[in-house]
Amino acid sequence: MVLYNASTNKMHVDEIVDAHVLVVGSGGAGVRAAIEASRYGGVVMVSKTIAGKGGCTTMAEGGYNAVLRDRDSVDVHREDTLSGGAYLNEPALVDALVHEAPERMADLVRWGAVFDVTDDREIAQRPFGGQRFPRTCYAGDRTGHEMIMTLLDRLDATDTHLYQEVSVIDLVKDENGTVAGAIALDRDGNVVFFRADATVLATGGGTQVYDISTNSAAGTGDGFAMAYRAGAELIDMEMIQFHPTGAVYPYDARGRLVTEAVRGEGGILLNARRERFMERYDPERMELSTRDVVARAIATEVLEGRGTSRGGVYLDVTHLPAETIESRLPVMLEQFLAYGVDIRREPMEVAPTAHHIMGGLRITPECRTTLPGLFACGEVAGGVHGANRLGGNALAETQVFGKRAGEFAGKNPARSGRISEGAIEEKIRVLDDFFEGSVNPADLRKDLKLTMWDQAGIFRNAADLRTALGHIKRLADKRLCAASTANLLECCTARNMCTTASLIVRCALIRPENRGAHVRRDATVTAEPGKSPFGHTYVSLTREGIEQREAMT
Amino acid sequence: MKTITIQVSRFDPAVDAEPHFEEYTVQVNEGARVLHALHAVRDNHDPGLAYRYCCGSGQCGSCAVRVDGTPVLACMEEARDGMTVEPLALPILKDLMVDLEPVIAKIARICPAPDAELPAKDEIETIKPLRDCIECFCCVSACPALQVTEFAGPTVLRQEMRLTLDPRDSGDRITDAITKGLFYCTTCRRCLEVCPKEIDIPGKAIEKLREIANRRGLTLPRHQEVARLVQETGRSVERTKETFLEQVPEVIEPDGPVRGEVGFFVGCMFNGRVPQTALDAMEVMKRNGIRVIVPHDQVCCGSPLIRTGQTAFVDDLKKKNIEAFARRGITTVMTICAGCGATLKNDYETPFVVKDVTEILTEYGIEPPTKLDITATYHDPCHLLRGQGISEEPRALLRDAVREFVEMPTQCCGAGGGVRSGVPEEAKALGAKRDEAVKATGADVVVTVCPFCEFHIADCTDVPVKNLVTVLLEGYRKKDAEREGSA
Ligand SMILES: Cc1cc2nc3c(=O)[nH]c(=O)nc-3n(C[C@H](O)[C@H](O)[C@H](O)COP(=O)(O)OP(=O)(O)OC[C@H]3O[C@@H](n4cnc5c(N)ncnc54)[C@H](O)[C@@H]3O)c2cc1C
Ligand code: SF4
Ligand code: SF4
Ligand code: FES
Repeated sequence: MVLYNASTNKMHVDEIVDAHVLVVGSGGAGVRAAIEASRYGGVVMVSKTIAGKGGCTTMAEGGYNAVLRDRDSVDVHREDTLSGGAYLNEPALVDALVHEAPERMADLVRWGAVFDVTDDREIAQRPFGGQRFPRTCYAGDRTGHEMIMTLLDRLDATDTHLYQEVSVIDLVKDENGTVAGAIALDRDGNVVFFRADATVLATGGGTQVYDISTNSAAGTGDGFAMAYRAGAELIDMEMIQFHPTGAVYPYDARGRLVTEAVRGEGGILLNARRERFMERYDPERMELSTRDVVARAIATEVLEGRGTSRGGVYLDVTHLPAETIESRLPVMLEQFLAYGVDIRREPMEVAPTAHHIMGGLRITPECRTTLPGLFACGEVAGGVHGANRLGGNALAETQVFGKRAGEFAGKNPARSGRISEGAIEEKIRVLDDFFEGSVNPADLRKDLKLTMWDQAGIFRNAADLRTALGHIKRLADKRLCAASTANLLECCTARNMCTTASLIVRCALIRPENRGAHVRRDATVTAEPGKSPFGHTYVSLTREGIEQREAMT
Repeated sequence: MKTITIQVSRFDPAVDAEPHFEEYTVQVNEGARVLHALHAVRDNHDPGLAYRYCCGSGQCGSCAVRVDGTPVLACMEEARDGMTVEPLALPILKDLMVDLEPVIAKIARICPAPDAELPAKDEIETIKPLRDCIECFCCVSACPALQVTEFAGPTVLRQEMRLTLDPRDSGDRITDAITKGLFYCTTCRRCLEVCPKEIDIPGKAIEKLREIANRRGLTLPRHQEVARLVQETGRSVERTKETFLEQVPEVIEPDGPVRGEVGFFVGCMFNGRVPQTALDAMEVMKRNGIRVIVPHDQVCCGSPLIRTGQTAFVDDLKKKNIEAFARRGITTVMTICAGCGATLKNDYETPFVVKDVTEILTEYGIEPPTKLDITATYHDPCHLLRGQGISEEPRALLRDAVREFVEMPTQCCGAGGGVRSGVPEEAKALGAKRDEAVKATGADVVVTVCPFCEFHIADCTDVPVKNLVTVLLEGYRKKDAEREGSA
């Protein structure tokens, strides 16, 4: 491999790193994959952020679903997951999830995780929405943080090499079309080329494409975009979970997650007239209905003028003992206190916020994508949650599929195909273009995020979606400007956000029905979720469409 | 929207020799955080500004910076007009971005035993308070011990204790903790003050680790000597001259009418080493109508033992002291030693209230002294400022007692936590930093209210160091002299 000449003032590859398995992303899924893959050969983990400090796993508060008690069963967990997902889930993936979540939980405990336990020395579990058994394991309200700290301890005992604050900007394929690694930029904008026999994509979600989002700053959907550019197929990208309860104030903190555990612990929702409005939407499950139902209920209250002046509703825990709030919801208490609200005494104000992308790369239960050499796990993969994710299932997903991706990537044979210099050169030329552009990527992001929120949000229709798609295309064509090499990444990220947004909107246009989190006000097809004639939407460089299927019973 | 002007520290190792401040005027929303002000600088002024962030909600620990000198999470701290934003006191990579990898590498990883099982509930509950750490490194940036020693840092010791408490861990954490500087901590509690998760590292980790080290015979020899002294004499200071208790009666009546009554807990330093200051305090009390009861059967409060982990017979001391005051029906006990005060308030469960002398004087209100013709600065004793949350009372008293009062940035002098006896070179280095700070104020006198600080700073600077009560007494003497002169 030629290292390009620095004196020409063009971008060039500064460093080449070889590995058996390349893991992209240091969230719960990526670290779990690296731990597993390291049993089979040399592993390199590349992460946009310092490991443990980036992505959404660190932020996850509520918990991890696993069947641990005799009174519960994996069949019930399976059925809850499918019915919550409006039967759009890939059943084989759900089977893996519910069967292996308990074993992966046991791994975490063995590795030192500090989960809450009961007086009888069992892992404590709490109720979460849409589930018939309280099966959500937790570590206070910092469950994800506990997991990632434990996983990093375990990772440290392997020979995995970490490249932190190094961001992958594109996947690279060899002459056989096998994914052969990735190109990345380090903090200063130097180009690093990682070559590997197998690549695991674990870049997490991307709801940062919406104006109001719970995701970390790394949740820009890079993985969806890079995989799409490389030719992988994605499914169900229209399935965006709007979490019912995001903060509404202060403005800059809008969207910040108010964990479902608040409702799990007994929090109630009230509109501005102090009516417990969930009675009208789901009198049986009330506040603990599935997220799509609660989010639409809140959005409807606000749209119909029964919201607060800031466009939210009240979430109230003042009837709970102060000690319960302090011990079970310390992070919530602390965050609201920082903004001058004492949730022990006054209600929170909340409104829906873009939370999770259920869709993603099409994977097999072995986490193989449609591209040879490329594996995916965690939020970047699709199919596990169908049309709506149950709270607590995503953390379980990171462990179950992280382990699987690591194992099967590890077992992947050595790659033999040649990597053409042209392929690399082409990707680097895109970077050079950013020095010629004129549009500030920050401005483009703002525009994109508002477009997505306004036209591809909770309630959708074809006209809005088409407008959005047109606008996104225009934004994607703008020539972005990098102020320095260190800013190249900003440009790449903005470009990825445009791609991810367009995938969401294209799939949203393709699905003509209301299903789970996807609501088309102009829907032409109405069927019970289980009887829907439709399967996954799919989209790739070469095709897009929606699967037809026999109605399930 | 509102407009604010902020100073941001900039540093590009490729071109700058040193960091410098740049001023930016930016528009931010109501309630915006420091992080949003930085976004505004990046989006509208300089896309090259380097800083970290990710979760935006105080959970990932990426975004810590120093705002007006104090480490905070940029995503949680409200942006203020006129604030300065600097990187943490760690090696700078660029602008506000510091090199975290070396400190992260010092944090121990769990080594689970092969047969590790789920801990029991009470074990989990003791670990949890130490587990909240988000590795933001605010504490590492603020810790004074780190500035002058190889101390690995507060959160590094927090982790050693977290692992010690975990039955699954198989590592030898005490030896590890000692190598990482267990005895360097002055127990100044600055780390707790800046920790966004309010983790009590000195109390819940460092003192506890020292306790286990003690049970294994690993306490520093100098600290063991102190423990022996307390056990044999009831005092942590050797008798070299007539003590305070030997010089005063059990009850000290005020000059005029009795406005109040307090019990007095004298403490070893004031009793044995600097009794004159305690006598000065008695004069001030007399003058202000406060009756002082001094039980002669009181002993060391145990602070030098608790801070160094030698707690075997601390309960005996506590019992003796509580009884000495309770038996005499005393409801308010006054301390003039910050260390004793913090210990009685935080480590004891007393049937009486404990108050620092500055609280007592402020509550009763004092006869104004004549102002001394000096410029004075004030050194905050850690065990008063953070141990007891007292900062305003001594300043107000001092302002009324001297011609000019000047502030000095707060920092531990290095005397506490057994550091002065156990690691004298560290105490000296921290003392030297105090000397610099004192000189920078241009003050004629440094005033404080802790005998340990007073004694130690006096060793490290040539500027006179005085206790606040001595300054008050001098003011009264001046007043009396002036009255006599004019009579
Ligand atoms: C606030 C919040 C709370 C949540 N609470 C829960 C909960 O209680 N229970 C539950 O089950 N689920 C919860 N979820 C969802 C769950 O946390 C996520 O779905 C899950 O953690 C995703 O894990 P991951 O490993 O796939 O990705 P992430 O944890 O998001 O990690 C992605 C990683 O990829 C890296 N990365 C991204 N792009 C690049 C790139 N271009 N190059 C290199 N690296 C890159 C990032 O730096 C990061 O390290 C929550 C989500 C949020 C946002
Ligand atoms: S108490 Fe003070 S010296 Fe000890 S670790 Fe904390 S900041 Fe450092
Ligand atoms: S102990 Fe507190 S201040 Fe120190 S790193 Fe942890 S969270 Fe930050
Ligand atoms: S950005 Fe995560 S703690 Fe501030």
